[in-house]
Amino acid sequence: MVDGVSPVTRVACVWVPYFVAAAAERCEPALAERPLVVVRGAPPIARVVEANAAARESGAAPGMTETEARARCPELARRPFCEERVASAQHALLEEALAVSPRVEDAAPGLVYVETGGLHRLIGDDMAIGERLVRRARTVGLAAHVGIAGSRTVARVAARTARARVVVVPAGSEQAALAEAPLTVLDLPPEMDGTLARWGVRTLGALARLPRAGLAERLGPAGVRAHDLALGRDPDPFRPWVPPPFWEEAQELDWEIDDLGALATVLGRVLERLTARLAAAHVWADALDVRLQLTVGRHERTIALAQPTRDSRALGTLLGVELAARPPAASVTAVAVSARVVRVPPGQGRLGQPSPPCPRDLAALVARLTALVGAGDFGSPRLVDSHRPDAFTLAPFAPPEGDDRLEEDPDPGRGGRLMRRQLRPAPPVDVVVQGERPVRVRWRDADCTVVAGAGPWRTSGEWWDADAWARDEWDLLFDDGTLCQLARDRVTGTWTMDAIYD
Amino acid sequence: MIVTGEITEIVGRPSSGRTSLLVACLSDVTRRSAIAALVDAEQTFDPVGATRAGVDLQRLLWVRCGGRRDVALRVADLLVRCPGFALVALDLGERPPRIPLTLAFRLRLTVRRTGTALLILAGRRIAGSGAGLAVLTVRNRLEWSGPAAVPTRLARVGTAVRVVRCRGGLPAIVSPDETWWWTA
Repeated sequence: MVDGVSPVTRVACVWVPYFVAAAAERCEPALAERPLVVVRGAPPIARVVEANAAARESGAAPGMTETEARARCPELARRPFCEERVASAQHALLEEALAVSPRVEDAAPGLVYVETGGLHRLIGDDMAIGERLVRRARTVGLAAHVGIAGSRTVARVAARTARARVVVVPAGSEQAALAEAPLTVLDLPPEMDGTLARWGVRTLGALARLPRAGLAERLGPAGVRAHDLALGRDPDPFRPWVPPPFWEEAQELDWEIDDLGALATVLGRVLERLTARLAAAHVWADALDVRLQLTVGRHERTIALAQPTRDSRALGTLLGVELAARPPAASVTAVAVSARVVRVPPGQGRLGQPSPPCPRDLAALVARLTALVGAGDFGSPRLVDSHRPDAFTLAPFAPPEGDDRLEEDPDPGRGGRLMRRQLRPAPPVDVVVQGERPVRVRWRDADCTVVAGAGPWRTSGEWWDADAWARDEWDLLFDDGTLCQLARDRVTGTWTMDAIYD
Repeated sequence: MIVTGEITEIVGRPSSGRTSLLVACLSDVTRRSAIAALVDAEQTFDPVGATRAGVDLQRLLWVRCGGRRDVALRVADLLVRCPGFALVALDLGERPPRIPLTLAFRLRLTVRRTGTALLILAGRRIAGSGAGLAVLTVRNRLEWSGPAAVPTRLARVGTAVRVVRCRGGLPAIVSPDETWWWTA
């Protein structure tokens, strides 16, 4: 166990080597087979920002001019640096890590820390967790190395130095794992690297053996920090990454496209990557924003979808139709597609039962209902904790998600509860009473004779408050067959027709 | 009684058990975690009684039309077009408006497409041949209860459900000789 590291905490480091080049290969998988450099700047002073493993084997390296790199490797493929492409790849990597653990940290491009404490019951041992992380990264087109240890520093060193895809550093053997690692894995400032090299310090083990007080005196806080790293301690707190609403995929083109068919092919690839991310996060595209960088100006369109979807083919067809109707004014040099996403409740509750309405449909429905009947006349009724008749409120309609169906009807036979058609407001009626029982009621300009009845059923409530109520209820059968409930207010003595049983 | 993708009409005289039958359908749908809507032309729905009947009010959209039956028809037309409602109940009360045959057939095509069941409650039939099923409720029993000889409460009402129109075979749930009991 490393000093200062909790024995319970386990952290995985997901590291994608040569990440800028890997992001370019992710967009064009055929590049993975070739030496590739990513350059920044215009020829002849374009400099190599990143080179993949094949290019490095041929002698190309970051910092060279493109001419120098090409002189060392004539078959070199070249792609311009595209910030959006790198950001997309990093987001994809973070989202995949988030699918494994709820706590991930965005440390740097191509470097993600994943807290794995508590995942063992869910996934398995450290090796299984590491393999899952590798698989998840592969689904978004990134070849990752994973190191798992008791601290982020040890996990990072393990991921960067080992040849295997997954390396697990058992608890208690962190110092041994760090001892032979070269200092370069810590990415220290160049000045400190130079100083330590002059001192003859080449490995983390050698740095860890140096006296801490002496390092502090000679190198200051940076020296203490380097010593912490060499000991496998994490000097910085874990900063959990929360996914921002960023659903965008972009592709910079090395050539200009002025043909809609070729553009559709590029958009199809971009949409495939975008929909793969949507599928991983279990969300659906509700609208697409398409931005085309032209040789002169930009072309931007927003496409609202009739139904949320993440079918890349359907989306590609829609984009193709839209661009055919309103084609860009010039040749296209870069494309970016972003999605406005919604969550669609999963599947249907039962066979033959439609899926619940999606939020967008509900929002549109609410807007139309507001225009038709007014905002206060629709919603879900909510009962009020009161014995007062007809006590309820109307809440906004928001059906619960999930399948929390109520218990089955204990008596599924014919029939059920007798319902009342409530009259609102209850109209006052003239009642002829005989022997304290109603015998004739004048209602709706007609005299109704009571042929049968029951009552009075006496109720009252809230007598402790200003809204006290007390009434006698009568269930009556009229001669025309109507079965109704009549009520007499015991406070005012008025008769009202409350409801009709139906 | 709930025929998916069809229009079902429940007609009958007042106090014959029409509303109880409609609310039983709402209860059946919401118990299955599905979403239902009730377009209430005369604003007579009783949420307290519906809860006792087993309706999950959270899954019920209640639209009150304040006596405007033309608005009720437009709301129903809107709701059946919105995917996701397993049942749309249209309560038009005792004086339903005339529905043009074209509107009835348009509603039928819409519910077939969206897989919704449209249930219309009215004093008389209005959907004509657009309805896939139409039933007439007739009250045939009445029982009172109370501790003494003079009853104090209505106990239950018996209803016979008769099929007056059926396209594509009689649903197994409807038996002409059976009495449906509604307990107060």
